[in-house]
Amino acid sequence: MFYCDFRDRQELTATNIMGAIIKQLAARGEVLKHVQAAFQKARTEVGGRGPRLPDMVQMLKQAVSTFHQVFICIDALDECPSKHLLELLESIKDVLKDSPRTRIFVTGRPHVGAEITKYFANRLTVPIIPKAHDVKIYLEKKLEMDPDPEAMSDTLRADILRIIPESSEMYVQAQSPFHA
Amino acid sequence: MERTAPEYSKTGNVNSFNVNNYYNGTIISDEYAEIMQWLSPLDSRRRHHDVRIDRLDGVGNWLLETDQLREWRSDEAGADEAVLFCCGDPGVGKTYLRQASRSFGRNRNYC
Repeated sequence: MFYCDFRDRQELTATNIMGAIIKQLAARGEVLKHVQAAFQKARTEVGGRGPRLPDMVQMLKQAVSTFHQVFICIDALDECPSKHLLELLESIKDVLKDSPRTRIFVTGRPHVGAEITKYFANRLTVPIIPKAHDVKIYLEKKLEMDPDPEAMSDTLRADILRIIPESSEMYVQAQSPFHA
Repeated sequence: MERTAPEYSKTGNVNSFNVNNYYNGTIISDEYAEIMQWLSPLDSRRRHHDVRIDRLDGVGNWLLETDQLREWRSDEAGADEAVLFCCGDPGVGKTYLRQASRSFGRNRNYC
């Protein structure tokens, strides 16, 4: 799982994101062995150097090939600066050429969809909206944790659990032209 | 002597990594930490751990039932359908849904 976290934005380069993905696959010894070899080779070069994007693509291709199927999840893709985003998508596309079974799960705001389509014309899309069912689970948990439950009448509690989940779905549908 | 890689042991993650189990002592944990740092300064595991703890059971399970997800997760689908994009405005719960989607391939490997 990789999170394009806003706090890390400075470091959100395609190279670093690919590296973070490889890190997790390197829990498998066979992958780690290849990564270690690349690391040691890089260290012998003048002054040692960090891995470059083509190195990352090769390492990820190798890593993915040792598994039957790998799921790569990248959260908040829209937080990734545009230049790096395009490089990242291109690199992933390159990896998929060799390992077509690999699945990529990404989340982001709707506008980033256009960039994804440039590289993956047949991408599947699921619009995410708050579901009344999810909101109800959340509210029930919050009410359970109420430090002063005596102050709440059963009627009020029932109203909260009925009205808020329903209206949260309607609110988003009304607000967003994307889901309209 | 067995030494555990420091980064993963802190999270208590099920994938805790004991270097010597894999390497018969050829990589000591100092070098392991150096390699991890060399690969990337980003650490996704910690954030994932936080999100996993906060998500309530049952939230987002509807995503697993969508046709798009079923089509996408099939390992018979080719590279053309390799990408599933969950889009939504800030705050609707994309991050937590991604967490729910963890169960789309139990017993497989996650990244």
